[in-house]
Amino acid sequence: MTAVTASPVAVRGLRKSFLDENRGEVRAVDGIDFDCAAGEIFGLLGANGAGKTTTLRILATVLRPDGGSASVMGHDVTREPDQVRRSLGFYSASTALYPRLTARETLEFFARIGGLSRERVRGRVNELIARFGISAYADTRVEALSQGMKQKVSIARTVVHDSPVLIFDEPTVGLDVLNALDMRKLIAELRSEGKCIVFSTHVMSEAEKLCDRIAIVHRGRIHATGTLGALREATGLHYLEDIFVRYVETAGG
Amino acid sequence: MNRPSGIDWRAVGVLYARETRLALRDRTIVVNSILIPVVLYPFLLWVTFTGITFVRGQTSDLTARVAAFGLEGGLEGRPALRKELETDPHVSFVTASSPTAGAVDVRSGSLDAVLEVLPSGRAEAALQVRLTWARSKERSTAARERLTTFLDRVRERALKREGASRGMDGPAWTLFTLEVRNVATGREMGRFVLGLLLPLLFVVMVSMGCFYTAIDATAGERERSTWETLMTVAAPRSSIVVAKYLYVLSFGFLAGVLNLAAMALTMKSVTAPLLARFGAGLDFTVPTAGVLVLLAGALVLAAFLAAAMMLFAVFAKTFKEGQAMLTPFYMLATLPVGFLAVPGIELTTPLALVPVVNVSLVVREAIMGVFRWPQIAIAAVSSALVIAGSLRLVVRVLSAEEVVTGAFAGGLVAFLRKLLRGRSRPVSGKRAS
Repeated sequence: MTAVTASPVAVRGLRKSFLDENRGEVRAVDGIDFDCAAGEIFGLLGANGAGKTTTLRILATVLRPDGGSASVMGHDVTREPDQVRRSLGFYSASTALYPRLTARETLEFFARIGGLSRERVRGRVNELIARFGISAYADTRVEALSQGMKQKVSIARTVVHDSPVLIFDEPTVGLDVLNALDMRKLIAELRSEGKCIVFSTHVMSEAEKLCDRIAIVHRGRIHATGTLGALREATGLHYLEDIFVRYVETAGG
Repeated sequence: MNRPSGIDWRAVGVLYARETRLALRDRTIVVNSILIPVVLYPFLLWVTFTGITFVRGQTSDLTARVAAFGLEGGLEGRPALRKELETDPHVSFVTASSPTAGAVDVRSGSLDAVLEVLPSGRAEAALQVRLTWARSKERSTAARERLTTFLDRVRERALKREGASRGMDGPAWTLFTLEVRNVATGREMGRFVLGLLLPLLFVVMVSMGCFYTAIDATAGERERSTWETLMTVAAPRSSIVVAKYLYVLSFGFLAGVLNLAAMALTMKSVTAPLLARFGAGLDFTVPTAGVLVLLAGALVLAAFLAAAMMLFAVFAKTFKEGQAMLTPFYMLATLPVGFLAVPGIELTTPLALVPVVNVSLVVREAIMGVFRWPQIAIAAVSSALVIAGSLRLVVRVLSAEEVVTGAFAGGLVAFLRKLLRGRSRPVSGKRAS
């Protein structure tokens, strides 16, 4: 075990480049630093292509960083990827469910693969089915569920193994207003349970309502980090949208 | 993507159970890996016997349209020949202006055959009969067979009569009789027939079992957008690869074994009694050692094909693309086995080194009760090495983050070329934000 830092999530000087056939080397993440504490929602706010998803994918060990370091519950993402994955739940609009499994089977699978014993699985799955209001369609195949129902099952599968760190990558993309509201409510509940939540979005109002601290990401770099109040104080602006535009323009963007 | 770590067998079990459950709910996989291997032989048998019965029925009812020349009047019983032909309900005489015109009609299909008795010139010389027909026409072929049989029968009767008039008893008028003896037993014949048929179908079935599951386990995950979900579960990547590999392998093996069982059952309980009715007493029993070799062969074949097919399919982004990427390999793996049916090809040491071919030859010889143990050992060792190499490559491919993220544009060859050039940076085909 490598103790990088005491924070559940710690990112230092993270870098990641891609080779683009047309543009050559593109720095998707260019020296990002942040921490996220237990019981906190840390928001990465940025436009499409800012480097949010790449950062979160590195944390989830889908991508390997070119430089810098990142750790989850003290485990380095490069050296201890298995331990990192055991410590987190990763949710993104692009992470789909298995259409031919029922909602219950989906949760059972993710609970088992997350390390829960066979005996604990049933209790935990039933608990989440009740909590997320899935009971009515728990034994229906995912392929027959509506988008909103799938979303609930998706969140339930993200948290089923009760990991201390949760990563939500643009979780409300494609959701209608009511489902997005439900989603934000659930994420807020998870914070109150003491989870460390890293959250990415490009929706200003979402970041305003949900995040304890916000990092403004642009062209692979964080240009400002702080609570909404601190960002307001630093810029003298009230609305997050104005604050965001100010930082992006200052960065030359 | 991070380097592969040790295998967590508990995770492998959970992942394998999920893969299998999903597969058993997929119609394409169930049909191709389970139903087809089971129903193929009874179906083929039904089609074959129905076809034979139909063709025989059609042929026996066919009336041959014949134009005859030189059967009228004169000596040597020509009128009798004509009279006898006319009594045959399946022969009808058609008028043609000349034998040459008749041949043109045969070629065009309006006539089936032309029968000519040619002038011999000498009274004591044998009659010369010419039969004109067209091999390219089924009706004409049937007419030829009917007329030839008829003429043979007439000649035999005449010879018998002639022999009797000269005081020759019994078959003495024939120069000699020919007795053909087949020393092969029914069991040996049965094994020979099985040995010709089974290897190709066996390889095809195991390949089919691996084909759809290999695509489902790789490209299917991408198409359903579940690949990234899987990459973030709390299981070592190596366990994910092993679980997927075992899933593909077990469906290939299952297809092979079901196929063998269905064939054994069909041959023993349906084909053998049917053939016995036609006077061909074939016994399709395979020796016990042969059964064991067959099972081992199915396992080795499935182990190789699973690894190889995953290697090709892992680069595909959709099921359709996976099919396109795998089909050339599928053809390459199964087509050469068709040539093994040629008599005289044996399991030699060089052939024991060729994947797929070695297993199908071992299987063919095992059915016939032939076991060349040194070559079988070489085949086993070489197969194990090829399987280990392929698996290693699968793990290597799935350790490449551009493949995992679906950003890699190209197939296995492009990947190997890139690997040799030492480029490690991912290409941004599907770059994250």
